[in-house]
Amino acid sequence: MIDNKRNFQGILTKYGTLIALGLIFLFFSVSVSGFVNPRNLINIIRQIALLAIIAEGFTMCLIVGELDLSFANVASLTGVIVAGLIFSGVNPFLAVIITLFIGAAFGFGAGLLVTKVGIPSLITTLATGIIATGFIYAYTKGVSLYGDMPETFLSLGRGSIGPIPVLVIIMALIVIIAHVFINNMKAGKYLQATGSNRTATRLAGINTDVYVILALTLSSLAAAFTGILLTSKLGAANPEGASGYMMDTFAAALLGQTVLNVGRGSPFGTFVGALMIGILNNGMTLAGAPYYMQDITKGTIIILSVTITSIQAKRLATK
Amino acid sequence: MKILETQELTREFPGVVALDSVNFDLEEGEIHALVGENGAGKSTLVKVLAGVYKPTKGKFLFKGKDMHFHSPKDAAEYIGVVHQERELVPHFTGYQNLFLGLEESKGGFLRKKRMMEKARQFMEKYHLSVDFSLPANELGSAQQEMLTILKVLFRNPGIIIFDEPTAPLNIEESKILFSLIRELKERGMTIVYISHHLSEVLELSDRITVLRNGKVVTTLKNESLDEDKLITLMISKELKNQYPKYETAIGKELLSVSNYTCKRMGLKDVSFRIRAGEIVGFAGLDGSGRTELAQAFFTGAHSEGGSITLNEKPFLSKSPGQSIAEGLIMIPEKRRAEGLLVELSVRENLALSNLSCLSRYGFVMSGKVNEYVNRAISRFSIKVSSPLQRVGTLSGGNQQKVSVGKWMEKDAAIWIFNEPTQGIDVDAKTEIYRIMGDIAGRGAGVWFISSDLRELMAISDRIYVMKGFRIVSEFLPPYADEKILSAMLGGTNNDR
Repeated sequence: MIDNKRNFQGILTKYGTLIALGLIFLFFSVSVSGFVNPRNLINIIRQIALLAIIAEGFTMCLIVGELDLSFANVASLTGVIVAGLIFSGVNPFLAVIITLFIGAAFGFGAGLLVTKVGIPSLITTLATGIIATGFIYAYTKGVSLYGDMPETFLSLGRGSIGPIPVLVIIMALIVIIAHVFINNMKAGKYLQATGSNRTATRLAGINTDVYVILALTLSSLAAAFTGILLTSKLGAANPEGASGYMMDTFAAALLGQTVLNVGRGSPFGTFVGALMIGILNNGMTLAGAPYYMQDITKGTIIILSVTITSIQAKRLATK
Repeated sequence: MKILETQELTREFPGVVALDSVNFDLEEGEIHALVGENGAGKSTLVKVLAGVYKPTKGKFLFKGKDMHFHSPKDAAEYIGVVHQERELVPHFTGYQNLFLGLEESKGGFLRKKRMMEKARQFMEKYHLSVDFSLPANELGSAQQEMLTILKVLFRNPGIIIFDEPTAPLNIEESKILFSLIRELKERGMTIVYISHHLSEVLELSDRITVLRNGKVVTTLKNESLDEDKLITLMISKELKNQYPKYETAIGKELLSVSNYTCKRMGLKDVSFRIRAGEIVGFAGLDGSGRTELAQAFFTGAHSEGGSITLNEKPFLSKSPGQSIAEGLIMIPEKRRAEGLLVELSVRENLALSNLSCLSRYGFVMSGKVNEYVNRAISRFSIKVSSPLQRVGTLSGGNQQKVSVGKWMEKDAAIWIFNEPTQGIDVDAKTEIYRIMGDIAGRGAGVWFISSDLRELMAISDRIYVMKGFRIVSEFLPPYADEKILSAMLGGTNNDR
C-alpha cells in the first residue's frame, strides 16, 4: 500500500510536468476555439522557436551550476550588430559569423572572470549584461535600425520549407544538438559532472574551469544566434528587442528542471518548458485573457517548478 | 549524585554502528574525560548528547529525567558543547555572538547597551577578559576560544563538553583554559573533556572513560592510571583474519621524496619513499598533515625545496589531471563530497574519468562504456540493482568501490587511498583491503592513509607517522602499537 503510494508519487514527480502540459493543451483545445487547428499549432511552435534556442543556451549554464543574467542583453546587442553590419554593406553570411563571434566573446570573457578571478557568475553576467546594453545605446542612440535587408538573410526568420518555417527547423536542430551534446558527447558529460560536483570532478582529473567557460560561452552563443534570428524575423533591430526573453527563458529552463530527472536541467526539459510557455501564451491570448494574466501565470509557474525541484532535492537528501 | 546517565545508547549509520549500547554516567561536579582512538565513538557520543543526532536505540537521563532533544538548540540549556570548530559568527562582535539567538529587544530594536553591560558582568563572573567590541574574526585564537566558552556558558547548561579544546592553543593559552575549567568545576559545573593529549587528560580529570569501536571499554578513577595504561586500554585486540594481507614481491622505488617543503600547505622537510608492490601506511592524528601531504601531491602544489621523483622522473603536479597522466591517483577521503557525483548513476560515475578512452571524435561510445562499467562492477563486486542506480543510494562500502573502480584501468604507479574504510561495514572493509592488496600485487605502490591503527598495522608493509605536518618516524613490522600510538600522541603541545 505504502509502496503503491510511493510509486504513484514517483510517477507524478517524474511525469508530472508532461502530464500538466497535456492537461493544459487539452484545456485550451476544449475551451478556446481555433486553438487546435494546424495553422495555430505551427504558429505556437514558431512563436517558441527563439525562446527555445536562447533557453537551450541558458540551460548549459544551469547544468554546469552557474547563472547567466546577460543572455537577453547579449541577444539585443547582437541583433543590433548584425543589422548594423548588413546595413553597412557587409556580406550577410559574414555578418552572421562576425556577430556570433562577438556574442560568444561575451560569454567567454564572463567565463574567464568566473573561473580565473573568482567572481560569482551571477555578478559577472549582471555586469557584462549591463555593458552589453551600454554598447547597444552607444551604437543606436536608442533608435531602432530599419532598412533593406537581403532576402537570403530575411529568409532565416521568415521563410519556410513546405509548411514548416525555417525558424522551427533551426530550433529543432539546436534542441537536438544540445540534447546529443549533453547526453552523448564527452564534453557534455564533463559539463554535467562539473555541475553535479565540481570538487569530485576536478579530483577525477578534469579541468572544470574549461567547462564553466564553455557553458557560459554556449549561453552567449545561443543568445547571439537568437538576436540574429530576431533581427531577421523583424527585418529591423530594436535596442531592447530581446529583453522580453529574460523571464520566459528563466521560466522555461526552471520548468525544464522538473521534467523526468527532477532537479537536473536538460535540453529536452527546457524544450518542454518552452513549449508550455508557448501554449500558455497562445491559449491565453486567443481566449482574450489580459496580458498581465500571462505574467501572473508565468511567475506562478516559476514558483511551482522550483518548489517541486526543492521538494525532490530534500527527498533525495534524506534517502 | 548522577547528573547524566546513558542507558544502552546506540547510534547507527548506514553500515556502521558508531555507538554501541553505551552506558556512561556523569557525577555532578566532576571533570570526566573521554578518550579513544579516532573513530572510537567520542564525537558521536557528544553529538547525540548535544542533540545533533538522535539515538537509534537507548536513552539518556538528565537528573533522572528522560531527555529527547530535537536540535542542538533544545540541548543548549542542559548540555553545552565547545566544539572543535568554533561556532562564532566571524563578523559579529563578542557580545553579538554571546547573545546570538537570545537578543534582547524593545519594540523590535536591539537593546545594545543593556546587552553589552550584561555581557561585561557575565564575563567578570569568570574573571576573563575578552574584547567584546571587536568582531570575532579579529580576536586571537585564545580569545576566540574564551568567547566560544562564554557563549556556551551563557546558555547556563548543567554540563559542558569540551571537544579537543587545546588543539588551536599554545601552552600558555592551554594553561589559562585549564584554570578556567577547574574554576568551572569549583562552581559546581559538570565537565566532559575530550582530548587526544593524554597528559592533559590525566592532569585535569577525576574519572576517565575509554571508548573503543563505539563501545565503552571501562570507566576508571584517574588515580589508578598513567599514559601507558590508557594506551593499552585504547587499543583493541581483534582477530586478524579480518585483514587479508598478501605477500607481494617488493620492487623498485616508484616514488621517492626527499626534504620536500611547501610552506603554503605547511609541509616541512618531508622525506619518504614508496616501492612497487608495497602498501605504505601513513598514521597520524587529525590535523597531523597526512591529508594535506596527499593533496599537495595529487591536486598540485608548489615546492620550496626538496625533490620528488615519480617513476624515475621528476614530479611536481599542477593539477589532478597532470598527476593522473603521470601515474599518481587518489581516492579522496570525503567519498560523497569529493569522490563521487552522488546524484548521478553508477555508470556515469565509473565512466567519468575514462571518457577519453571511451569516446571517439568527442562522442561517448555507449557500448564501450557498458563494457567498462560491467568489468568494474564484477571486478570489485559492486552490489547494484542496475548500473543506472544512483550512487547516492548505495551503501558506503559500495560507494567506495565505485570511487576506486573509476580508476581501474588507469595504469598508475601510485594509488593514494585516503581513509578508504571510513564509515563502511566490516565486510566491505575486508574487500577494500583485498582491492589494495590486488593493486600492490600488480606492481603499483599503495599510499594508505588511515586513522584506524589496527588496519594500518595489519596491511601496511611500512608505516610512517606524521605529526605537525612532518614525518616523525617510520616503523617496520612487527609493529608495536604502543610505540606507534605514542609517536602519534607523543609529548604535549610543545612542538607545535
